[in-house]
Amino acid sequence: MKRGIAGLAVGLLIVAIAVTGLGAPIRIGICKIVEHPALDANERGIIDALTAAGYVEGKDVEYILASAQGDPNNSIPIAQNFLAKGVTLVVAISTPMALAAVEVFEGTGVPVVFSAVTDPVAAGLVLDDDDSSQNGNVTGVSDLIDVAGDLALLKELSASVRRVGIVYNPGEANSARLTTIAEAAGPGLGLSVVKAVADTSANVPAAAQSLVGRVDAFYVTTDNTVVSAIDAVIAAAEEGSVPFLMADPTSLRFGPVLATGFDYYKHGLLAGDIVLQILAGKKPNQIPVVYQTGAEIHLNLDAAARIGLEFPASLIDRATGIFFGGASWLRSGD
Amino acid sequence: MGSILIHAAEQGFAYGIAALGVFITFRILRFPDLTVDGSFVTGAAIASSLLTSMGVDPFLALAVAFGAGCVAGAVTGLLHTRLGITDLLAGVLSMIMLYSINLRIMGKPNISLLRVTTLSDVVEKALSPLGAVALLVVLAGLTFLIKLVLDAFFRTEFGLALRATGDNEAMIVSQGVNTKSMKVFGLALSNGLVAMSGALVAQYSGFADVGMGVGTIVTGLAAVIVGGSLIRSRRIGWMTASVLVGSLIYRVAVMFALRYGYLIGFQASDLKLVTSLIVIVALVIPTVRERLMRKVGSC
Repeated sequence: MKRGIAGLAVGLLIVAIAVTGLGAPIRIGICKIVEHPALDANERGIIDALTAAGYVEGKDVEYILASAQGDPNNSIPIAQNFLAKGVTLVVAISTPMALAAVEVFEGTGVPVVFSAVTDPVAAGLVLDDDDSSQNGNVTGVSDLIDVAGDLALLKELSASVRRVGIVYNPGEANSARLTTIAEAAGPGLGLSVVKAVADTSANVPAAAQSLVGRVDAFYVTTDNTVVSAIDAVIAAAEEGSVPFLMADPTSLRFGPVLATGFDYYKHGLLAGDIVLQILAGKKPNQIPVVYQTGAEIHLNLDAAARIGLEFPASLIDRATGIFFGGASWLRSGD
Repeated sequence: MGSILIHAAEQGFAYGIAALGVFITFRILRFPDLTVDGSFVTGAAIASSLLTSMGVDPFLALAVAFGAGCVAGAVTGLLHTRLGITDLLAGVLSMIMLYSINLRIMGKPNISLLRVTTLSDVVEKALSPLGAVALLVVLAGLTFLIKLVLDAFFRTEFGLALRATGDNEAMIVSQGVNTKSMKVFGLALSNGLVAMSGALVAQYSGFADVGMGVGTIVTGLAAVIVGGSLIRSRRIGWMTASVLVGSLIYRVAVMFALRYGYLIGFQASDLKLVTSLIVIVALVIPTVRERLMRKVGSC
């Protein structure tokens, strides 16, 4: 009951600000599950999107930043604290953070915008990603990567690739989901998926080693556990002289042969755009979930040389960036 | 201010049940049991699976979680007493095994409870006249009930034998008590409570996550030690009460770190540091007060 009244009051406040464009700075709570290069870039992107649209920090908008520091048990207190501080909008980065925000802000009328969530429907955040009318006060951006596209790239790289090895942590919601997608997509491309499980970063070397000789290529999705120990997968791929595709462009310089995926700063800009639409008066249930598109392809020529691999011209033409001679080169005009 | 204190108290009680479990192994049995990092999730996993797939009653889900936790604890006990594996390693092995088992139970690493009827929903509906404190009243009531049952149990002959197993094993063996069975029972009871706490926390949070058990042992121990240093008593009723006080202090510390940490220049990434600093302050205050009192007294 009290929550309902508070929600109504907050709702009226939003309307008042939207109508008059005046008043105290609006408060936006931004929370993430852990400090991580991709998630930090995501956070910066959100703030930069608002700044670019004229929301000056300290004058028009006040940000309350929070991190659960890797412990899902901190997500609920963080959301409750946002509620107590009377935020007008919440941006929740990652699945557990978004679930906590939706649970705490249910019935308050405060919009929740999620970001860096792979599958918002399977996670139970929204009912339908396309028809947003029943999604209540929740919308956001998904970072679902094009797994089938990645597997097709490996096939394009070398037609002899038949078995693809995936090292993953089944405890990570995003990674588990992507691995399932890969298993389903593989047969259609003439590929079989061989999985190796690493539940902690310390177990990545053993998992990667177990695949050497049994696979024709390595593939790692957006798996935080495996990315933390990426050197071990690179070593295993080089030992087996097979290509390694990684769905994280920021890790290209460490030595995978090719990397695809999204720029998380741009991901943040997309989330920021949704925030701007809501601040302009749109309701979250009028904004369908946004799926980031335009995955980039990055090639590591040094790593390819180490396993005696040459990239087909079709791939080089589409690459956004290359790593060559120990340095990164981006396509001009990008 | 008021509302976040209510929330911190809710969490203090919900996690307090796990702290009572940790208290049983560490203080009563003197068994450093690390199974809890796994069994906390087992409770959350069982409850969330039952709620989402079968629409089981939220309170019944707590009971089933308790049972599953008991099994997990008993396995650790049997590894230790029957197979002769050292206490720490037995707990670690159970904890690692439970990671895979928990994933099997859940089928995926994260289950959302946003669209199913949880304990919070039932309570808020049934006790709506109580408003914002309805959930707190139920969580406090449930936790106190468990505390009172434990107190009564530890005063029975069997309960006293369990306490003696930790205090003086040689003495109690000479009395004809099978301490191996006692340890298995104590570990089962402890992990049952921890799993029940996990089931409660999942329903309270609106989701279960396979990573939510990491650190159960640390926060549980923090509650046991903080409470024990504030309330120094050998009487079982006060000892269990002190554990709940410790759990409340820990959760209030997290909330204060989040709410007021920025006032002293802390940023988001300092959360764990600030939480621990607040716990340290809570620990030091009684000692400082005691010293001041003594000084005043000697003047």
